[in-house]
Amino acid sequence: MQAQKRMVSDRTNANLAAVATFVLVFIVLMIPILMNAPTRGGPQVMASLSTYLAEVRKTAMPFVGAVSIGAALLAGVAALVVRREWRDARRRRALIAGYAFLAPYLIVTLVFTVGVILFALYIAFNKYDIFTPPQWVGLSHFIKAFKQKDFLQALHNVLWYALIVTPTQTALAIALAVLLNSPMRFRRFFRTIFYAPSVTSSVVITLIFVWLYLKTGYINLLFSKTLGLVGIDWKAIDWLRDPRGLIQIIVAPFGINIPSKQWYLRGPSIAWMAIMFQNIFTTAPTFMVMFLAALQDIPPALYEAASIDGATAWQQFWKITLPMLRPIILLVIVLGTIGTLQIFDQVYLATAGGPLGTTNTPVFLIYNEALGKQGPIQMGYAAALAFILAVLIFVFTFLQRRFIERGTELYY
Amino acid sequence: MTVTTQPVAPPRTRALRRPASFYIREIIRYALLIGIGVILFAPFILAAIGSFKTDAEIIAYPPKFFPERWLVENWVKVWNTDFGEGATFPRWLFNTAFLAVTTALLKVVGCSMAAYAFSRLRFPGRDLVFNFMLGTMMIPGAVTLIPAYVLMGKLKLLNTFWSLILPGIVDAGAIFMLTQFFKTIPRDLEEAAHIDGAGLFRIYSNVILPLSRPALLTVFILQFQAMWNNFLTPLLYLDAPRMWVLNVALSVFKQQYKAQWNLTLVGAMFNAIPVLVLFFFFSKYYIEGVSYAGIKG
Repeated sequence: MQAQKRMVSDRTNANLAAVATFVLVFIVLMIPILMNAPTRGGPQVMASLSTYLAEVRKTAMPFVGAVSIGAALLAGVAALVVRREWRDARRRRALIAGYAFLAPYLIVTLVFTVGVILFALYIAFNKYDIFTPPQWVGLSHFIKAFKQKDFLQALHNVLWYALIVTPTQTALAIALAVLLNSPMRFRRFFRTIFYAPSVTSSVVITLIFVWLYLKTGYINLLFSKTLGLVGIDWKAIDWLRDPRGLIQIIVAPFGINIPSKQWYLRGPSIAWMAIMFQNIFTTAPTFMVMFLAALQDIPPALYEAASIDGATAWQQFWKITLPMLRPIILLVIVLGTIGTLQIFDQVYLATAGGPLGTTNTPVFLIYNEALGKQGPIQMGYAAALAFILAVLIFVFTFLQRRFIERGTELYY
Repeated sequence: MTVTTQPVAPPRTRALRRPASFYIREIIRYALLIGIGVILFAPFILAAIGSFKTDAEIIAYPPKFFPERWLVENWVKVWNTDFGEGATFPRWLFNTAFLAVTTALLKVVGCSMAAYAFSRLRFPGRDLVFNFMLGTMMIPGAVTLIPAYVLMGKLKLLNTFWSLILPGIVDAGAIFMLTQFFKTIPRDLEEAAHIDGAGLFRIYSNVILPLSRPALLTVFILQFQAMWNNFLTPLLYLDAPRMWVLNVALSVFKQQYKAQWNLTLVGAMFNAIPVLVLFFFFSKYYIEGVSYAGIKG
């Protein structure tokens, strides 16, 4: 009898806890949603909580409605879980403890990641500047993107960038790591010196290089001194303002002139390649460190066996080192791609997208469109561009994993 | 049959004789290393020296390596920069340092708590949330950039430190690294503490945290550096001159001082030197942190 009474009260407790959880989780989920609702901004709306909520009711109800369904579902699941775990005191404590420790992470992520992305998804289909309510435009942003020269050129630039920079920095990183790998004196010293450029901010590196790239700068001096040794007269190049494309320069001696209407045939410009070079400076050492660590994991016995069989150092590199490094190479290439496709700082500081748009990048364009730096504020359009970029990144990394990861299972 | 033993060879007392090719290879290797080191470090050296030059020397062609006189006044001038309304160079330095230290500390606390939950506690939904966290690592920053800016505007956090501190509490990469690290701590210690009556939070604070000092220090240092070097987010959120961080101020320097590169380079040195010093002292943690994230991840 006592046992039955206890069971009943346990069950009621569990049900009460479930209901409380549902309400709590629903509220916790809805608050970031409301915060992120696409409404007008500005001091009138934000004057107080009630004016803001009134504004939400006026302009953002479809958004709030759609998301609240998802929130209710999640809250329901949470409630059911709580109901199941409530009976057993130990499991109940484990549940509460787990989520208590996760609380900072969950709250911050809900507000600043989940809510923000839902907002971004919504306004990508709307015309939105903060001063007027959002207007639904459907897919027109996405269609417009692929017709806008700036965006196409930005994609073109950033694809060349990824194509040239990623393999180069990977190869350089491997070379440096192999060079540093054997036991030698001052190894730690060299490793530290090599890594130093990666430690400073991109702003510092960019400013220093803009100065070095001046027409009166050290890089022109270097070229004129070294080429002067072979008798070539070097004309100083204004590196960061030179819009001539690589392919354009290569075919020029053959009399082929690529008109500016077909800018996409010209290849990366000199200014763009200057920025590529500058960036490899900072990224190669970071990846070198990863390769160094990976090289330590390769069992020396493999090399010994190979040299007993008469393999030269070169053969050992190609047949042992590189295959064993494959997973790290994949990681470095994926990280490199994600990084290169989103380059911004250097462009903002050094060239502002010029000359002739040859250093424009998607993130720079998103920045300009969203904040209205080169025209009206178009946050919806910028959000659409951001999603196109995200899809591009996903596709790239997926393909890379397919092709490079294929062989890595063999070695474990 | 008696066993005859071979006479033992005397121990070798002369140095190992290596073929000449070995020494040649080593010389080439050291030469390459020194050469590469010089190339990688040259921009900094040139910039440091350039920061002492006069306006004319800094854009002279061909540039001379050393300045005529070492103009310490350049450094004083930059330190005394004042754009009005409290926007001074020391203030920018403070902004940067304050943000770097605070976000690093909070990140250590927030991420270690989450990592403890993922690595040690068992509760429903743990793996789901963990995989969700890994998924958020794949979201490119460009997507959240502008919407986060709008959100900060609504929460009235623009031009306050909170706009950078609050989102900075979590970092999926740091949580992942700490989770892997915590998993290597033997359970016996926790079980002993548990038997002694310690609650979960006490186990976390008195057992796990002290044992994880190297990993926590690495998270702190990497986050300090990341926030010190951050440009795009402070550019968006902290655009009032008095709230600038060094990076943003430097970008204004470039436009302000135009051809006076000597002054801009001083600013760049102010920005780079603290991080370089920190790096040289703690290089072990940096490098192990980066390689740990790369290999075990």
